[in-house]
Amino acid sequence: MNASTEAVAKTSAARPLVALVGNPNTGKSTLFNRLTGLRQHIANYPGITVEKKAGLLRFGGIDMDVLDLPGCYSLTAVSNDERVVMDVLGGRRGLQKPDLLVFVLDATNLKRNLLLVSQCAELGIPALIALNQCDAAKRNGIRIDAGLLAGRLGVPVVETVATRGRGLEELKKAIVSALDSPSKLEGIHWPDCVTRGCGMLRAGLKNVADGDLTQAEALRVLFDSDSVFACGVGDKMCLKKLVDSAHREIRESGLNPGSAEAVIHYRHLDSLLDGVVEASGPIARSHDSIDALLLNRVWGTLIFLGVMYVVFQSLYSWAGPLMDVIDTGTSLAQDFARPLLSDTPALQSLLCDGIIAGVGGVLIFLPQILILFFFIALLEDTGYMARAAFLVDKLFSWCGLNGRSFVPLLSSYACAIPGVMATRTLSDPKARLTTILMAPFMSCSARLPVYILLIGTFIEPLHGPLVAGAVLFAMHFVGLALALPLAWVLNRFFLKIKTQPFILEMPDYRVPTLRNIFHRMWERGREFVLRAGTVILAFSILIWSLLYFPRDPEVGEKAARAFLAEAGASHTPAEIEAALGNPDSGLSQALSHRIDSSYIEQSYLGRFGKAVQPVFDPAGFDWKITVGVLSSFPAREVIIATMGIIYNLGADVDEGSDDLRSVLQNEKWTSGPRAGEPVFTLPVVLGIMVFFALCMQCGATVAIIARELNWRWAAFSFFGMTALAWLSAVLIFQIGRLL
Amino acid sequence: MTRSLDTLRIGARAEIESISTDCDRANRMATLGFIPGRAIRVTRFAPLGDPISVEVDGQEISLRRAEARIIHVKNVIE
Repeated sequence: MNASTEAVAKTSAARPLVALVGNPNTGKSTLFNRLTGLRQHIANYPGITVEKKAGLLRFGGIDMDVLDLPGCYSLTAVSNDERVVMDVLGGRRGLQKPDLLVFVLDATNLKRNLLLVSQCAELGIPALIALNQCDAAKRNGIRIDAGLLAGRLGVPVVETVATRGRGLEELKKAIVSALDSPSKLEGIHWPDCVTRGCGMLRAGLKNVADGDLTQAEALRVLFDSDSVFACGVGDKMCLKKLVDSAHREIRESGLNPGSAEAVIHYRHLDSLLDGVVEASGPIARSHDSIDALLLNRVWGTLIFLGVMYVVFQSLYSWAGPLMDVIDTGTSLAQDFARPLLSDTPALQSLLCDGIIAGVGGVLIFLPQILILFFFIALLEDTGYMARAAFLVDKLFSWCGLNGRSFVPLLSSYACAIPGVMATRTLSDPKARLTTILMAPFMSCSARLPVYILLIGTFIEPLHGPLVAGAVLFAMHFVGLALALPLAWVLNRFFLKIKTQPFILEMPDYRVPTLRNIFHRMWERGREFVLRAGTVILAFSILIWSLLYFPRDPEVGEKAARAFLAEAGASHTPAEIEAALGNPDSGLSQALSHRIDSSYIEQSYLGRFGKAVQPVFDPAGFDWKITVGVLSSFPAREVIIATMGIIYNLGADVDEGSDDLRSVLQNEKWTSGPRAGEPVFTLPVVLGIMVFFALCMQCGATVAIIARELNWRWAAFSFFGMTALAWLSAVLIFQIGRLL
Repeated sequence: MTRSLDTLRIGARAEIESISTDCDRANRMATLGFIPGRAIRVTRFAPLGDPISVEVDGQEISLRRAEARIIHVKNVIE
């Protein structure tokens, strides 16, 4: 953390606080980035996982804290995002109340954008308006009299084009002078029934929230009594009774309490905007002709598939070379560090196999995260993301997900980490939660080596390449086929969060700016490394220690003695001595593999694997498979290397290794009721593959879910998927045995 | 005659009469511009028939049929 971000982190009471408020898709975040540059600090609001984006603005010798509040259409607080807006603006829950609100409005859709402004007028916080996307409005034939608008609203209006940086200096000047001589928004005149309703609520709810309700807060309770905000106010029963009688007042005067607030505000705005906005003829929206193509039943679908193919390919294949570079870098660092600490083997292993491998294991995700967020920023900034969600929503709506789940789930086929991070694009908290929980079920690329090893070893030789290909294809759908019905069950019976209507605004198509796209990539990449990365690193060091310790030297010596005794049967002592003198000879390699294998067997994790083998016995797993499965919980891609160690072949084997394949084919039970029978029968092989398909063997995914939701959901996901994987493997083995 | 929005064909124009429930769905819809008296036009259906896309007060908004059902319209021209 450099000095400037550190300065931002400490919110100084002396610095004025400026909050950016506005609808989604108004260019608010772009404006925030323009105002603060990279002097930003991202944290979470206390107690909830809503991103708090703060930055430092320095202008005219004055330092100001700028807060980028989550985009919202109104103060109606259905989600936590929206609740944060209400909490900040009310200065509740220990949050600092802003000194100035800068409303960022989309000039192409002024009336709807002003609804939020009109609601906020009640709060009495000084304000000014940034009329953004003025260029697009002009292109669409909309003329706005900014001076007249400022006069009617009672606050300054500055015209900006955030993407091009136009109007920025004027805006900064206006912010400074508004802090100096603040002006407040003109509130609207509420009909008597509303005023009476608010009065009833304020009288009835005295001293129940922290402090009495303000008029603005009473309006919130009145108009969205089910909201996150209202739920924090007072006793439920008492609140409901009060709200019901207030609603009766409103209904008696002929208004629908559900839509009354918006209706009254829009009525006010209709007269406020009279003469301010002039549209030359019918509003010519630039997107009609493009939509005719992109949302066409046939062409739109084909283009969608093409776009998604490119996104997927880039994650699945194009990230490969970059990941190889990181892999190579990791092994170079290990090779460099290993000789430095050869006197202290435990420290050497901690540094090389724990820390360096762990850091490499964090960085390895970066290429995919950066590439995915490049595309997400591109798709969102152009306006295509909303169209994509529109096209495929039906595929997901039945199970509680929505059209915006598509990109996160598709990305999860490459890797669940960027996939889970991509769920930020879902504004509905329930759909987002479900999408996050389903993402790890998608068959990520780390599962592929297991499928290839087992299919290549056991299915292809027996049933030919056609069946092998079909099985490989099917393995990619096992997770999906289970995840969607599970999502349905979860939504139908367990999740108590309210479902939000899936209503999408189709924004105008825009030309994205590279500056914005790179900012998004930088922000996500940095956040992943600093926040999730530290947890993932801690995980890998923990697992390393479980696989390394207790490392009794006796164990290694015993393994060596046993090995030499066996070798003595087929080699002369002179041959053995000569071979052991050369560390590259077959015999000394085999010896070190045997020692590694004995250490892993005697490690805490190895012992644990042996102890819990009875749990996996109903699935037909022997202790070696069990240890392999257990040790791949931090990251499933290590399974091949672990199997290499367990089967005395060393960690360097890969899924195509003929040695590993022949060892697996010849592996037999050494004791128990199945002694002498081969371990890897078809049901066992299928069971292992399905286990890998369904199990959450990825510490990084657990960490990222904890980061995006919380540790409770991460634990739920981990244990739930593990139980499901175990159950499926057992079922396959038991049914397979009967057939 | 009143009908619900989800029964309209592509290209149909109508006037919003009311939003049927007074739950917070109605609040959300009204916020986005579904206000009694405003003109509305069905612009397209998604390839799988749902959601639908409508134009109201100069903006294009997509919503599911389940949500369109709570919006009542009159003076339909198809």
